[in-house]
Amino acid sequence: MKSATRPVAYTLLGLLAFSGVWLTWAQAQAGSRYRDDPRNVRAFEPPSHPARGRIVTADGVVVAEDGLDGARRYPEGTAYAHIVGFDAEAGRRGVERTRFGALGSRDDGSLTAWFLGLLGADLGPPDLQLTIVDEVQQAAFDALGGRTGAVVAIDPHTGAVLAYVSSPTFDPNDVVAGDLDPDEDDAEPRFLDRVADRVLPPGSTFKVLITAAAMRAGLDADSEIEAGDSYTPPGGGMPIRNAGDGGCGGDPVTLTHALTVSCNTAYARLAVDLGSSRVVSMAEAAGFNRAIPWESGAVISLIPDSASLDRDPPALAQSGIGERDVRATPLLMALVAAAIANDGVAMAPYVVDAVIAPGGEVLEETHPSALHRLVSSRIAEAITGMMIEVVARGTGGPAAVSGIEVAAKTGTAEGSGGPHAWIIAFGPGDEPTIAVAVVVEGGGSGGRVAGPIAAAVIAAWLSIGD
Amino acid sequence: MTRRSETALVVFASVIAAVGTALVTLTADDRLTIDALAALATHLATFGGLLLAVRRWAPAASRVLLPPVAFVTALGVIEVFRIDRDLGRIQRWWLLLAAAIAAGGLYLLRRRGVEVLRRFRYLFLAGALGLLMLPLTPSSWPLGGATVNGSRLWVRLDLGERSLSFQPGEAAKVLLVVFLASYLADRWQALAAMPRELGPLRLPEPRQLVPIFIAFGVSLAVLAYQRDLGASLLLFVVFVLMLFVATDRPTYLAAGGALAAGGAFAAASFFDHVAVRVDAWLHPFEDFSGGGYQVSQSLFALADAGILGSGIGNGAPYLIPAAATDYVFVAITEEMGLAGGLAMLAGYAVLVAAGFGIALRAADRFRSLLAAGLTIVLAVQTLLIVGGVLRLLPLTGITLPFASYGGSSLLANMALVALLARVSHEERS
Repeated sequence: MKSATRPVAYTLLGLLAFSGVWLTWAQAQAGSRYRDDPRNVRAFEPPSHPARGRIVTADGVVVAEDGLDGARRYPEGTAYAHIVGFDAEAGRRGVERTRFGALGSRDDGSLTAWFLGLLGADLGPPDLQLTIVDEVQQAAFDALGGRTGAVVAIDPHTGAVLAYVSSPTFDPNDVVAGDLDPDEDDAEPRFLDRVADRVLPPGSTFKVLITAAAMRAGLDADSEIEAGDSYTPPGGGMPIRNAGDGGCGGDPVTLTHALTVSCNTAYARLAVDLGSSRVVSMAEAAGFNRAIPWESGAVISLIPDSASLDRDPPALAQSGIGERDVRATPLLMALVAAAIANDGVAMAPYVVDAVIAPGGEVLEETHPSALHRLVSSRIAEAITGMMIEVVARGTGGPAAVSGIEVAAKTGTAEGSGGPHAWIIAFGPGDEPTIAVAVVVEGGGSGGRVAGPIAAAVIAAWLSIGD
Repeated sequence: MTRRSETALVVFASVIAAVGTALVTLTADDRLTIDALAALATHLATFGGLLLAVRRWAPAASRVLLPPVAFVTALGVIEVFRIDRDLGRIQRWWLLLAAAIAAGGLYLLRRRGVEVLRRFRYLFLAGALGLLMLPLTPSSWPLGGATVNGSRLWVRLDLGERSLSFQPGEAAKVLLVVFLASYLADRWQALAAMPRELGPLRLPEPRQLVPIFIAFGVSLAVLAYQRDLGASLLLFVVFVLMLFVATDRPTYLAAGGALAAGGAFAAASFFDHVAVRVDAWLHPFEDFSGGGYQVSQSLFALADAGILGSGIGNGAPYLIPAAATDYVFVAITEEMGLAGGLAMLAGYAVLVAAGFGIALRAADRFRSLLAAGLTIVLAVQTLLIVGGVLRLLPLTGITLPFASYGGSSLLANMALVALLARVSHEERS
């Protein structure tokens, strides 16, 4: 009988072992198939511990974290609403959307996670380190003061975004609490990211690119160009006039002088003289008509193609002063300033510096990378000198910061509700460490309205460490 | 294995029970309660007491038996406590009572050994059949049957204000194994002789087949009247396997398999409660809110588990109906992960291997059959419920030995282990 005991014993033990194999297989299979089943209410069981990491600025200010109830909390509220976004039942926006995966616990129950855990890794939710500097962000937020518009500041050498403000804004805590619905129609103006998701005519800030195109075509800062009180492009149409309807303080004027006083007649004529292909190719070199890589995506800035501008000289002339069908995001115009400040090279903008595990291990780090070369370093240097003149002696006076040279170009672009006040700026002049773009929609004169905002942001940045 | 390592392993299992219980209260209430200490004390008293009893009344017994039992019991009490605090506390009393009964059994057998059981074999048979029929007594009797979850396999002892229920089928399975071991040890030659030929088949005298038909009949009766698929299948499989072990004749396996297949098909066709189980097994999601709900929830639990589980207290095993009894294995796997589930299976495998080892080394046919039968009960019961919750088989609704909540099951299985220990002792002395 013992001969029959053995096969029974081996069979039963084998079946036990097979149960183990089956359990492993069933779990692997069940894992992929049933975890997301809508009838699986386990996913909705309230979490008993914080499940998502914090979002922290470069200077250590916590801007998003899990509250005690497990819901997200935004200690800085409105000031970071558009860049940080929110993670609420109503949906996700901003970095909270783009980095949703990175903010979660790494312990997903996988074999890899288990092995990492064995090696002593802390698999808790990692923190996100932003490039935003709270002092600069708050200065930008305060300087804009709730007016409709946007402020963005970039480190020209790396592309790290130092400030990112869109206004009007909202409190992400209200969205989490369910008091504010981003999908309601009247909520749209507050939820719109005016830095990256809205294009406006850039106005005279576009003259920086016309200047660059002219220099690439052989002109230099001292080249003399025709100005005049008004300019009627070939083909007729409305004559182009200067702000205040006067001249530009001489005729002809140097290129530097034309930029300093933002001479419309000189730049409209210059654009027509350069020809559409030079103008459009310079704009496209700056990032027009293509997608700029950005954390939450950015709408494309536009300029008509050179063939259609060729057939329509009045349109080309108006494009030369950043009007007509030219449209740019503040983000792109900031990249123009940053490229001039960085010897002609635009660095790819980024806002997430690193993903850091609870134990301090850096899981993911953003390495600065060049996006494109806008102009040669010689042209960049020349334009820098000209933009310093804009602040020292021209329309950019209100952007001045005491003790340093600021380079800037203002813009006052046509808008239905009053002119849009623009400025792009960087500083300090000789060794720039910050580039800024500001727009105040319907705000008025670029120099007077946007200039002080740029100055406040640059001053806040330079005061750090004092 | 030395006595020292046996003791150390039992203490280790007690610490697991205590730490796991502490984790349950820490996770849910953020504080330690007396329950952790109570779990430690209960486990130490239960298995320490059993260790002492074995040392005194079966000193030569295998030392591989108690550690795996202590281990799977520890994971069981943690999870039962986690699913329902009150059940977990009652389970501790059942554990102590089970240990006392097992120790009492060892004491009674201390002089004459298991040999004495052979004398009372028909008493055991009558007792087993009586116990199996007990739930069919009218509910109004002081010791009356009771229907729980649609199965009439419970007896409720009415004690005035309170009542105590138990499943006599659990005790019956041990008594039946003792009877069968004794009966087959005497009659195996008659059953093994195959004087008749039917074509290529060799068959025993028809009258020798009467017991197998009785077993089939009893199983079917249990299935039909008590609606207890698990006990019915367990009894039948144990019976057939013991016949095969005793006679070494594959004919019994073939006949048993044919009867089981026919019985299963007939049951699925004629009994609604069996058909529902089969549907839930094959297509759990088609009747999600009805018959398939339990199986679906169990699949979700497994999906959530991962390698190390959600952590004790962090899962949601209470979403599975009957989590503390039928589905305790899935609850353990959900919260302790694949690692916990495999550790449980390994525990049972060690126990089953030790049991068959005792059967193979036993001094005589009766002892060998007794050890094999008891081990087969443990192994088949474990496979039926684990296979059931993992959808290898239709769910039959039976306890997972030592882990599920349930007093009758604990008492019966602990007594079973005590008997195994005694057989093991006798083989060496």
